[in-house]
Amino acid sequence: MAAFIVRSIFFKTVTLIIISIVSFLIVHLAPGEPSQIDPLNPRFRKEDIARYREAFDLDKPLLRQYFLFYKKFFTGELKSFKDNQPVMGKVMERFLNSLPIFIVGTVLTWCLAFPMGIGAALARGGGFDQVTTFLSYLLISLPGFFLAYLLIIWTVNWFEVPVLGIRTFGQEGAPAIYQVNDRMWHLVLPSLLGATGGIAFLSRYVRGQMIEVLESDYVRTALSKGLQEDTVYYVHALRNAALPFVTMFGLLLPGLIGGSVIIESIFAWPGMGRMAYEAVLTRDYPIIVSLNFISAFLVVVGTFISDILYVIVDPRIRL
Amino acid sequence: MVKRLLLFLPLAVSALLLQSYFWVPTFSVQVKGSEARLRQFINASTGDAQILNPILLTDAASGDIADMVFNGLIDRDEDLNYRGRLATSWEIYEEAFFVPRPGGPSAGALRERIEGARAAGQPEWAWNVTQVEVIPPAEVKASVAVPKRGQQGFDQISFTVAYPERVKITLKEVDQDLFDRLKALLGADAFATDPAPYLTGAPAGLARSQSLAEVQLAEHNPVIVFHLRKGVLFHDGHEFDSGDVRFTYDAIMNPANLSPRVADYEPVKRVETPDRYTVRVVYKRLYSPAFGTWGMGMLPEHLLNAEALAGEARRLKRDPQKFTLRDSGFNRSPIGTGPFRFKEWRSDEVIRLVRFEKYWEGPPQYAEYVSRILPDALTQELAFYSGTVDSYTAGVHQVERLRKDPRFQVFSGLAFGYTYIGYNLRREPFGDVRVRRALTMAVNTRQIQEFLLYGEAEDITGPFVKQSDHYNRSVKPLPHDPQAAERLLHEAGWRKVNGVMRKDGKPLQFTLVTNHGNEVRKAIAVAVQDAWKKIGVEVKVDMVEWAVFIQKYINTLNYDAVILGWRMGLDPDLYQIWHSSQTGSGQLNFVGYQNPEADRLIIKIRQEYNKERQVAYAHQLHRIIYGDQPYTFLYVGKATGLLDRKIAIAEQDKSGKTRYRKITATKTGNYTFHFNKWLKLPGVPQFEG
Repeated sequence: MAAFIVRSIFFKTVTLIIISIVSFLIVHLAPGEPSQIDPLNPRFRKEDIARYREAFDLDKPLLRQYFLFYKKFFTGELKSFKDNQPVMGKVMERFLNSLPIFIVGTVLTWCLAFPMGIGAALARGGGFDQVTTFLSYLLISLPGFFLAYLLIIWTVNWFEVPVLGIRTFGQEGAPAIYQVNDRMWHLVLPSLLGATGGIAFLSRYVRGQMIEVLESDYVRTALSKGLQEDTVYYVHALRNAALPFVTMFGLLLPGLIGGSVIIESIFAWPGMGRMAYEAVLTRDYPIIVSLNFISAFLVVVGTFISDILYVIVDPRIRL
Repeated sequence: MVKRLLLFLPLAVSALLLQSYFWVPTFSVQVKGSEARLRQFINASTGDAQILNPILLTDAASGDIADMVFNGLIDRDEDLNYRGRLATSWEIYEEAFFVPRPGGPSAGALRERIEGARAAGQPEWAWNVTQVEVIPPAEVKASVAVPKRGQQGFDQISFTVAYPERVKITLKEVDQDLFDRLKALLGADAFATDPAPYLTGAPAGLARSQSLAEVQLAEHNPVIVFHLRKGVLFHDGHEFDSGDVRFTYDAIMNPANLSPRVADYEPVKRVETPDRYTVRVVYKRLYSPAFGTWGMGMLPEHLLNAEALAGEARRLKRDPQKFTLRDSGFNRSPIGTGPFRFKEWRSDEVIRLVRFEKYWEGPPQYAEYVSRILPDALTQELAFYSGTVDSYTAGVHQVERLRKDPRFQVFSGLAFGYTYIGYNLRREPFGDVRVRRALTMAVNTRQIQEFLLYGEAEDITGPFVKQSDHYNRSVKPLPHDPQAAERLLHEAGWRKVNGVMRKDGKPLQFTLVTNHGNEVRKAIAVAVQDAWKKIGVEVKVDMVEWAVFIQKYINTLNYDAVILGWRMGLDPDLYQIWHSSQTGSGQLNFVGYQNPEADRLIIKIRQEYNKERQVAYAHQLHRIIYGDQPYTFLYVGKATGLLDRKIAIAEQDKSGKTRYRKITATKTGNYTFHFNKWLKLPGVPQFEG
């Protein structure tokens, strides 16, 4: 186990270094320049543009830029081209905004997908199974933005309540309980939309796993020796069917830094996805590369955690 | 147990989430129930502001907010003429200097001759001269930016110019022909022509030739004197004075601040503050667009000077040496002299401003100005319907749909910009003006305006803002006439063979490029492709991503024809876009337009301080450029606006009674001009008259 951890950390560090190089290069070699250096602004002279390039370190050789960038990144000195705010502060702010959607979305996904999947597996071929199958494929194939518009128009017209943004505008003076619930309400639609894909996909997966386990010998044995059905399904079978999902907890980690550009734009949610998208449009290199690197880091850590989790939950696996 | 949990958990989570619905105020409670809502103006903005500092911002969203928080010395009135804001009035005059030819008559002798002629009332320009002096020798330190050899970037090379005794002439009005007039009076050989003897301390090579160009043997120094408004307060109660103007200028020129406005103020020689309410700006050379730059928002010196910044750096535990204006918290909570005071900014969510009660022009009617950031066009429209925002960036199709709706009022006014097809004049067949004219005449611009822009556009025939005086209304657009276009091509030697124009066996074909993602331009490309096909011109259309488009096509001049647009300022200076010296790679005259007469007029315009004369030059230039057809000018778009009909202009009449007036666009199409007087009423008002 200890040997595995050491080896794993070594290889993951190497992976991270390679990713740091690649993500840095992709951004810098792609066409376009930071929007501060606008080549079509008649007021800019060549030496003004040169001053910007110097201030942004863009006049130095790529290798130097690479080291300068990560030096600033790790010392927290990195600043956005756009407004000179420290990158880490900006990322943190957006992270805290995106976090509630992520948490509620994940809770919804897991809470709904399991009952749906298990129910479908137990009633294989029956009405519930067919309905959930249909719903799952519908949710997977409907584009998110379309569903979002439908939901917004429907809620706004029928319930006459605001759904855009993080909170209702002008509720600053309201009592705390109103404010808390107001923020919760604003979470409902975006996180539900964020979860739809996950629910559809995960419930299919749960159904598949469950069916596989239900067909195994020990389940048949347990049933034939007269154990209660619920005990067999929910204690013996589910425990084994749920094994692969444990590893998925680790893979949730990168989702923390993600955030859907489309959902966030439609709902005017000041989240991570929008910041990243706008950074790409204005070629705000520090933000783009930092987000790339942080999410790569989270992926690497996530896979590491799921490896460890697997060992813990499944006694058959030894490293 | 597990089974129950699996059933109970989803239900509990859903119930918890959905119950929150009952705590949220409905639209009717928010909009109708609240008196305070009528005193708020909520604008839906597509993008967030970046930096709320007038000398650093480059984006429109920041500009809109900064305009509310800051004032410039001047701005434009309803007819686009300059009017005073923080300045009440101004004078512009000129100080001119010249170096007498070494070995020729001395400065003193020349002065005598000019004075003599003046006393005799001889030259017809004598009325303009206020003073003629001889000034003693002086040394001037200066520097030039020289490209680094074999590397990116520039080096600052400093040098000294040792001027001998010079003649100084002070004029009542700026006169760009002064030296020609003086040559006529004193003879051309009275003036020094070789700058080399006066230059010291500059190295050889490029730096030397650049420094030589900086030696001013004959120099125009226009001077602007601003008289500032007294008693104007910043939002923190500090009084605005000439020190703040000087500070704002210094902050722009400070290289550490990386201000994008540097080029605007580079022609300034020095800014002087003779007293608290007077600012004297002396320019290095004739450059009339410089006047308009004083519309820039003025910064409070007492909050941003070196001392204040060092204090802020220490509070934040940052290195004071590296801490510049760009890093200051001021950029996210600005303090200016404008009608609205900054209150709150939540990134990508909302910016709130509140009325500044002590605004020098009287406080605005609205108590609060709010900019909500709603990036999506459809949800913006939804928010507008539900009444949670008062205005949004409505597309022409949305305006069209709501034009007849009794709940809303619709505005449309000409924008400051135009869309065009630019031809690479270096390439055949575009070298021939007849071909360019033919191409223009084949395009039905009316159709483009009617069908692609819902009629929210007009013809434009030249490079000036259409609603400004500089635009020459007597230039009529070429008619849409495909037959005449074919005749023109025929005249130019092209023959139609099997429906394709050919000359020397080669067909008339080229590629039209535009940027990806602009649906209107894409549609235009298809429309003109079709129109040109009808006269026998084969066109391939190519769409590329913006950055690639600029880098691989425009900057390297590697294209046949492009569809692009210019957004213009009101100043008629066309140097960067139309002067023949700006045709290199990476420069803005990328079509390669060259016309000596146009060059002459472009220089005249940027050196002319008298508006009438400037307008006359601009009219000539407009006609020349349209005649040459380096672009096919397609249209000038209209900016559309949509407001709740309950919003009106509130004004006090003489007896102190408040009267309401319908919001109308100014002559130039700007309906927000009287924003500070706007007010939302509980019901749709009935206007008198």
